[in-house]
Amino acid sequence: MSAVFDAVMLLLLIATAVTVARARDLVAAVVTFGLYSLVLCLVWQHRGAPDVAITEAAVGAGVTSVLFLLTIAKTARSERR
Amino acid sequence: MKTFALVLVLVVAATMVIGIAGLPPHGDPDGPIHTHVGARYLERGVAETGVRNLVTAVLLVYRGFDTFLEVVVIFTALVAVLALPSATRRPPPARGESTAAPRRGSDDAVPVSPVVFFVVRLLAPFIAVFALASLYRGHVTPGGGFQSAAIIGAMMIALGLVFGREHAARLVPHGAKAWLQALGPLAFAIIAFVGWRLTGAFLGFPADEAAHALREAMVVVLEVAIAVGGAVILAQLFMALDAPS
Repeated sequence: MSAVFDAVMLLLLIATAVTVARARDLVAAVVTFGLYSLVLCLVWQHRGAPDVAITEAAVGAGVTSVLFLLTIAKTARSERR
Repeated sequence: MKTFALVLVLVVAATMVIGIAGLPPHGDPDGPIHTHVGARYLERGVAETGVRNLVTAVLLVYRGFDTFLEVVVIFTALVAVLALPSATRRPPPARGESTAAPRRGSDDAVPVSPVVFFVVRLLAPFIAVFALASLYRGHVTPGGGFQSAAIIGAMMIALGLVFGREHAARLVPHGAKAWLQALGPLAFAIIAFVGWRLTGAFLGFPADEAAHALREAMVVVLEVAIAVGGAVILAQLFMALDAPS
């Protein structure tokens, strides 16, 4: 069970990371990146590191998403081709 | 160019896979991380530091220098953002725009959904209590200064998003802002010199049994300073980016 959970989470991590890197719409990239942080938070918790999990949830999924969105609002929404 | 990038990626990936393959198995009791200083921390950490959460003990007492510079790095990040001209420039209000008009959200174009407004208002006190609990219990249970800072900072940003930046700016007292931003590095420097005076080592902690209360007080000061300073820095990062340009 534990190994299955880890495998699913790691596959999700890879999938979200690739999606972030490939996304042209930066808002979509930021939202996917928040999902990446959330999955990573679950992995930390599962590996017995609740300290890191709390920080990952608050900073990774919360604060950086807001900061990225504010930056996008001040610059451009799409990546230049 | 594309072939070069592909080759580069493959070479780096192969190097990393080879490196990872050479690591001892996860959780191996004979692995180097469990036989050197780690073993000593686990055996005598609680007795030596009086901090029952070993993560906090290592972070603040055994590896204080790393944490000191970590706090300095966060502070430097804020300084870098504030140094950006677009982050601090405040254009004069446009003609005809009433500055007294109540404004919700950071962007006037999109009003905040009542659901989001209600949920953030409802959750904010609970988030604050959770952050304080994680700070207060930080040397016993998982949590501590950095976690607390992240949670309080995220709460302030959520409040700033729904109430608007004028409201959020009031969460940090204006006069003390500069000091609060630098609270982490300042507290570390002060504790470092206190430790120097007591033990002869920069950032040293008195190890004898009699100094238990003093050692605990030093750890608590550092924890609170990291939490408050970190939260203010996160909130200031948000304010700086949220400011109209």
